[in-house]
Amino acid sequence: MTLSNQYREQKADSVTTGTPSEPDQHAITDWSGTVGDALIDDPRMSTRNVNVFYADNQAIHDVSLDIGKNEVLAMIGPSGCGKSTFLRTLNRMNDSIDICRVEGDIVLDGDNIYDKHMDVVALRAKVGMVFQKPNPFPKSIYDNVAYGPRIHGLVSRRAELDEVVETALRKAGLWDEAKDRLDKPATGLSGGQQQRLCIARTIAISPEVILMDEPCSALDPIATARIEELIAELSENYTIAIVTHSMQQAARVSHRTAYFHLGKLIEVGATDKIFTSPDHKLTEDYITGRFG
Amino acid sequence: MQTSTLMLVVLALVALAYVMGRKRSVQLAQPLGGIKNLHSLPNYYGLMAAVWTALPALVLLLLWVGLENTVITNAVIASLPDRLAEQSEGQLSLTLSKVRNIANGVMLGDADPALAQAAEVLTRLQASSQAGKIGLTLALAVLGVVVGWVLTKPKMRARPQFERVLKGALLLCSMIAIFTTLGIILSVLFESIRFFQAIPITEFIFGTQWSPQIAIRADQVGSSGAFGAIPLFVGTLLIATIALLVAVPIGLMSAIYLSEYATHKVRNVIKPLLEVLAGIPTVVYGFFAALTMGPFIRDVFEGIGFSGVSAESALAAGLVMGIMIIPFVSSLSDDVINAVPNSLRDGSYGLGATKSETIRQVVFPAALPGIMGGILLAASRAIGETMIVVMAAGLAANLTANPLEAVTTVTVQIATLLVGDQEFNSPKTLAAFALGLMLFFTTLMLNIVALAIVKRFREQYD
Amino acid sequence: MTDQSRNALERLAANKHERLNARLKSRYNRERRFRAYGIASIALGLTFLAILLTTIFSQGLSAFWTTYVKLDVTYTPEVLYIDDATDESQLRLADYDGVIRQALSERFPEASGRQTMRNLTGMVSTSAGYRLRNRLMENPDLLGETETLWFLADDDVDLLMNGIIDRNLPESERRVNDQELEWIDSLVSSDQIERRFNTTFFTNGDSRDPETAGILGAAMGSFYTLIVTLALSFPIGVAAAIYLEEFAPKNRLTEIIEVNINNLAAVPSIVFGLLGLAVFINFFGLPRSAPIVGGLVLTLMTLPTIIISARASIKAVPPSIREAAMGLGASKMQVTLHHVLPLALPGMLTGTIIGMAQALGETAPLLMIGMVAFIVDIPGGFTDPATVLPVQVYLWSDSPERAFIAKTSAAIMVLLAFLAVMNLLAVFLRKKFERRW
Repeated sequence: MTLSNQYREQKADSVTTGTPSEPDQHAITDWSGTVGDALIDDPRMSTRNVNVFYADNQAIHDVSLDIGKNEVLAMIGPSGCGKSTFLRTLNRMNDSIDICRVEGDIVLDGDNIYDKHMDVVALRAKVGMVFQKPNPFPKSIYDNVAYGPRIHGLVSRRAELDEVVETALRKAGLWDEAKDRLDKPATGLSGGQQQRLCIARTIAISPEVILMDEPCSALDPIATARIEELIAELSENYTIAIVTHSMQQAARVSHRTAYFHLGKLIEVGATDKIFTSPDHKLTEDYITGRFG
Repeated sequence: MQTSTLMLVVLALVALAYVMGRKRSVQLAQPLGGIKNLHSLPNYYGLMAAVWTALPALVLLLLWVGLENTVITNAVIASLPDRLAEQSEGQLSLTLSKVRNIANGVMLGDADPALAQAAEVLTRLQASSQAGKIGLTLALAVLGVVVGWVLTKPKMRARPQFERVLKGALLLCSMIAIFTTLGIILSVLFESIRFFQAIPITEFIFGTQWSPQIAIRADQVGSSGAFGAIPLFVGTLLIATIALLVAVPIGLMSAIYLSEYATHKVRNVIKPLLEVLAGIPTVVYGFFAALTMGPFIRDVFEGIGFSGVSAESALAAGLVMGIMIIPFVSSLSDDVINAVPNSLRDGSYGLGATKSETIRQVVFPAALPGIMGGILLAASRAIGETMIVVMAAGLAANLTANPLEAVTTVTVQIATLLVGDQEFNSPKTLAAFALGLMLFFTTLMLNIVALAIVKRFREQYD
Repeated sequence: MTDQSRNALERLAANKHERLNARLKSRYNRERRFRAYGIASIALGLTFLAILLTTIFSQGLSAFWTTYVKLDVTYTPEVLYIDDATDESQLRLADYDGVIRQALSERFPEASGRQTMRNLTGMVSTSAGYRLRNRLMENPDLLGETETLWFLADDDVDLLMNGIIDRNLPESERRVNDQELEWIDSLVSSDQIERRFNTTFFTNGDSRDPETAGILGAAMGSFYTLIVTLALSFPIGVAAAIYLEEFAPKNRLTEIIEVNINNLAAVPSIVFGLLGLAVFINFFGLPRSAPIVGGLVLTLMTLPTIIISARASIKAVPPSIREAAMGLGASKMQVTLHHVLPLALPGMLTGTIIGMAQALGETAPLLMIGMVAFIVDIPGGFTDPATVLPVQVYLWSDSPERAFIAKTSAAIMVLLAFLAVMNLLAVFLRKKFERRW
């Protein structure tokens, strides 16, 4: 996909989200602010009044949301609701899109990440990201995992790097499958293994927050189950924000769930509550499968 | 009757056949209740009738015109007495042109009776060939009109038939690519074989002396090793290497900048500008290399203390050729870099890599096979480039790796050996075909390998 | 998970920020440097382009003007050795140079001696005599009359007037000697010499004399050659593209055709020249140096380009169009000819124009088939001996006369102008007919 394609897609994305006047039976008519407990005490990352624009189209409307420490936060919503866009603003992945503009505050460790003095390299070393499609680099398995520590200069000795690679692969549950073929191309792994490799690659730089953008959408059910187990294990050490199109997955892996609709954050709450007794009509309609 | 007039007559017959076929189909349909009872639209009946008229007649005409000369010439040679027919080929062609001149009445007197007789044969053959051509072609065309007329029946599947003919024509057109390749291979191969009968192939490929001018004298043909092509190969490689050293880094970095850094606006301005370099004819580069770059390089290097720098240096030709290839390398690399999926870039940015780290460590390795393919294509282009080296590299077959000296290349020698009125069958001209054979196969191999690499690369990311 | 390995990531996390920050600056420096390399490469490429074009333009512009000398010439019968003005052979063979010589020595009465007189007459182009002959043969009544005419000056005079020959050089290093310089100055002061737009350049064929050499012959050669190329390569290329895109089954033959097309696109052009020489000239006995052979060779050369671009534009026609027509019961051939072809045509035209531009700039294969001969007459047909613009550039660039440098550059400018027009036309067509499905 070329940059312009990406841009076009994003734009198409924002057209659907950014035009509330479109005749839509689920148009938000009674939205008066997020329902539920979007803000919490002592968050790892917090966003306040975030608006995202693609040129003149507004993709995200005034979202305020906290992500707690060692918490798995799931973001759900119909396609085009802005959940992926929102996720990408959390480590400034939208920077490369010229026409994208972000307003509001996103705070990590007391710094606004959109502050002029914030370094995007350092930010992304803190906020790692796993993508929809497994995207291992065309290098060996070892070099894939070692990529982050190497570019950031996080280790000084080869032995140290070996340990980091092993630890990351173990944490991603890939060590046993990969230990005998560390020097083989990563593209030879299966889809599920590739995605776990990408997770290993991310945790090899020891991030504080891991963003996951529909990490299982390209995987089969068995591989998906492994990744979900992995997410549960990782939440012991990391804060995870995951976008998913599968409500079951959100229900299985997350502690809190946020429901997005047409670029607006409708409702946030403990996952149990959202899936059993949502407060907002739109959330309920979505959960019960009236649209989506 | 001129061939062109004959052609017009045939075309008139074709038009007639079309009109008649069409009319007849309509007429035949009348009693059946209108043209809806025909298998196809009347148009197609006309077209089929036209095909019947045109195809056989024109094919015959084409073959006749194409082969007429060769057949007649051979017949004339056969009619010559042995003492004339068994001359060397050069002399024979001289004799033949004398015969032609006598036949055309350009050359009078001086009649060797044998020549006059041959001229008579020639005139007679030409006349009968002319008559045969006109007669047979017209007969075939008229026959075609009749056949077209007779075959027109309401049940005739005119449209499918016509479409099959058309499809055949389309296939024929696309096969021209094969014919061209075959033509190239055959024409260089046959002449090369004749060359290698005079000069051993090992001497040609491994010899280090190249001076074809000496070999004009019959007694020296193949005797002195004057056809050793090593200096040409070395010269070609030297210049191509210099060209690639210029073009690859500049072209690659330009492509990287344009596809990874530049904004749309900048890209839309710069890219066409760079491609202007590719649109400039090579003869212009040659002129620039010979007149500006060559003397400039000589002055610069003599200024810093080198002596004996040639104005026709390999460096000047190589540099200018490199400039010419820049857009070629950059647009090929650009395609390849754009084919690297964005998910890889995202993966790298997501880990906090800078743009250049991403490009160097992720995008470049991913694109490497495709870029290698592009470089091979560029190399093939550099090896085959003619005008720049003809004008700027000189003719001296020096066996040297010094870029400041004059060297010569395979293409330069092909051009020099064949330009001007050369006797076609001397080893000197045949040598050009042997060089052409080398050139064709080298570039063919490079192209096949390069295209295969690029294709595999594309499949990987499709 | 062992304790040992758990520590590795934690150890890494512990000093992550120091290490990361320690390297940030040098990483950003490297980033800037890399970016600078990119900009430098592009700048270098564009600088080359600028140097190339300015060199050629600055050298070539002067050739669009040329120097004329005004002389009073008298058609004196005695000088011309004509005693019977009605005798055409006398008129044809008369000594017109003598008239010029006389006119010049009247203007410069002090000139005497063989060498001096030769230098003096050498200041006017040798074409002056032909011009007088043509005038007199058209109108024999001029015999004995005097008229004032502007004649083309010799190329060295033009170079001096133009400042290309530096008059401050010592005489021995200058192609115009002191006496000639004096004459020129004298002509200048009496307004008998001036530079004007050089129409000769656009109306003449080739010549050994720089001042009378023109590009019309080569331009006409190019024209006839391109007509042949266009007439053959466009229909054949389009037909081949249609077959390969719409009808070709997936089999060995198709594969071979495709491989061949791709390879031919990368075969060195000189090899096509060898093919033309061996097949068209030696086997089929077509005439050497003729536009028809040049056109055939260039057709084979440009076909791959045209086929490839035509296929791309056929591919760009969405399948929905084909399906719609097919659904109405049209045959595959009808769908292709009635629906796909018209929609793909603008794209094919664009590709063809670009192919023609390539063919126009091609030199090497035409050298092989003898289009490199010195041809003064302007070709009038497809079988007349001819040369083409780029070959003319090559021929002139080889000429020793200093004045041909400007001529060569000027011919290049004309060639580039044609190419620019063709490419702009292609861009225009593409913009105009570009359709997003």
